[in-house]
Amino acid sequence: MSAVTVGATGPVVVNEFAKLRHLRVGLVAGLMVLGTVALTLLSTVTSAEFADPATRTWDVPLAGLSLAVPMVSPLLLAVVASRMVDIEHQGNGWLMGSTSGVTPGALCRAKLLTAGTVVVAATVVTHLAVWALGRLAGIDAPVPVGLWAGFAVTSLAVNLVVLALHLVLSAKVDNQLVALGIGLLGTVVAVFGSGFPGWFAHATPWGYYSLVAVAGYEGEHLVTTAPSYLSVLVLVGLAAALFVLVTSRFDRQEARS
Amino acid sequence: MDTVTTVNLTKSYGRQAVVQGLDLRIPQGCVYGFLGPNGSGKSTTMKMLLSLVQPSAGEVHIMGEPMNRRTRRRQLARIGSLIEAPPGYGHLTGGENLRLVQRSLGLDEAQVNRAVQAVRLDKQLDKKVANYSLGMKQRLGIAMALAREPRLLILDEPTNGLDPAGIEEIRELLRRLASRGVTVMVSSHLLGEIDKAADHFGILAEGRLLFQGSREQLFAAAVPDVLIDTPEPRQASAVLDGRLTTRVEGGSLRIGGIDNRVTARVVADLVGAGAPIYGVRREEQSLEDVFMTLTAGGRL
Ligand SMILES: Nc1ncnc2c1ncn2[C@@H]1O[C@H](COP(=O)(O)OP(=O)(O)OP(=O)(O)O)[C@@H](O)[C@H]1O
Ligand SMILES: [Mg+2]
Repeated sequence: MSAVTVGATGPVVVNEFAKLRHLRVGLVAGLMVLGTVALTLLSTVTSAEFADPATRTWDVPLAGLSLAVPMVSPLLLAVVASRMVDIEHQGNGWLMGSTSGVTPGALCRAKLLTAGTVVVAATVVTHLAVWALGRLAGIDAPVPVGLWAGFAVTSLAVNLVVLALHLVLSAKVDNQLVALGIGLLGTVVAVFGSGFPGWFAHATPWGYYSLVAVAGYEGEHLVTTAPSYLSVLVLVGLAAALFVLVTSRFDRQEARS
Repeated sequence: MDTVTTVNLTKSYGRQAVVQGLDLRIPQGCVYGFLGPNGSGKSTTMKMLLSLVQPSAGEVHIMGEPMNRRTRRRQLARIGSLIEAPPGYGHLTGGENLRLVQRSLGLDEAQVNRAVQAVRLDKQLDKKVANYSLGMKQRLGIAMALAREPRLLILDEPTNGLDPAGIEEIRELLRRLASRGVTVMVSSHLLGEIDKAADHFGILAEGRLLFQGSREQLFAAAVPDVLIDTPEPRQASAVLDGRLTTRVEGGSLRIGGIDNRVTARVVADLVGAGAPIYGVRREEQSLEDVFMTLTAGGRL
């Protein structure tokens, strides 16, 4: 009897990391960090609050982040998902996986774990960079740890939901222009979501970016609010259930070529 | 012992029956040539053997065990396969692609190296697969299938895109594997490509198995025409008139579908009737002719 093992989970995930080579996913993640940090800093140093040492608080960069994350994330998440999934379409990877016991659904779940790790890392770097650069720029006020952490965690959760959605979308629709187009539309919803009624923000995953924003301007005034934890919790629960459902349907689907 | 057996294996898409009632028998250690024109259902059948496509009816047994969704994982560890387009991630090198296979199946370095050497890909491993020629991709796909040292190898048109020397190499490889006890099932729509390598054949047309058996049985199944050489073919034809369908061709008379016993009686009758006969022979038939007759006629 051969000692060959088939379809174990560990190697599948390690293989997903190995496939990232030459795929420039790191570069895209880097762009995401760079874009978010740059937009945040730009809006911070050009604000009236920043000019006056008395109002130079962390609320200013948090308002910048609350805007920069929804502007930058949706499209680049779509690109990350698309690059990771399209190689399976191009390289006959779904079938090859199936013939060694790795079903298409398992492949998608491994991809979420891999890409998710990259997104988590990018998020940590982004927030640390904003904090460090804010310090350098002269923000001496105490850090609102609870508010900031709340934003970091909830915006990361929304990012991961959008990423999962795009992994499924790119797997389902071979033509990657469709997924990228939807990513672009998502950006519009994410950025302008707060301008619509509340139900609209809850209607699509991208709308949730407006629900996790912790600082922003109401007229002339900079105000802070806690992120809508409950909404995000419901979103994550629903998305996780759907992702498991859809990918297990991929598992039962017949092999395509 | 048969490595692969199927009972009434059937697949329909909607109302279209693509594969109908196949009872395959693939003996252990043979090279089984699975032949049929485009669209006859070869790939679909192979996918059902690998449980990648769910049969509409029927069963598959591999190495004595049922092959289905529940047993698939265990079974796939000892089955190497290459279905339709050769696999391979274009942005990675051939070596990196093989490393993925090595990791996902828990293979050791030596197993991968042996597979690479078997298809003579050693010198191309550092090249990106996107820059591979079709023949090199095909070799990489075969190496991926071979690396797990399978007991059963299922190759769907593995000679696609290979040059004549490459085809010859694959033939040799298949024979070598079979001589070590590996069962090889290889499909083609071109008989000539696997003719010399295969010792068993299954011939498929429009989803039905027209023939299955050894090379000898295949030749026997399609009885070649008898040619009787005579200066008076018309006279000879008149003697046999009403009993057999004959055709006059220049200096000979062609009679189809008669066995040796009937042939002997025909000759005796002709000689008895005074027809001058100086030659009796069976027409030389290539396997190609047999294949064409079977698939074109749509019947055995
Ligand atoms: N998923 C599917 N849905 C509908 N019809 C299908 C599907 N897969 C295959 N078919 C049909 O089944 C028939 C057999 O296809 P198959 O690919 O098995 O043929 P083949 O013998 O491998 O042909 P080729 O020599 O061209 O590779 C074709 O008519 C094809 O259109
Ligand atoms: Mg085919």
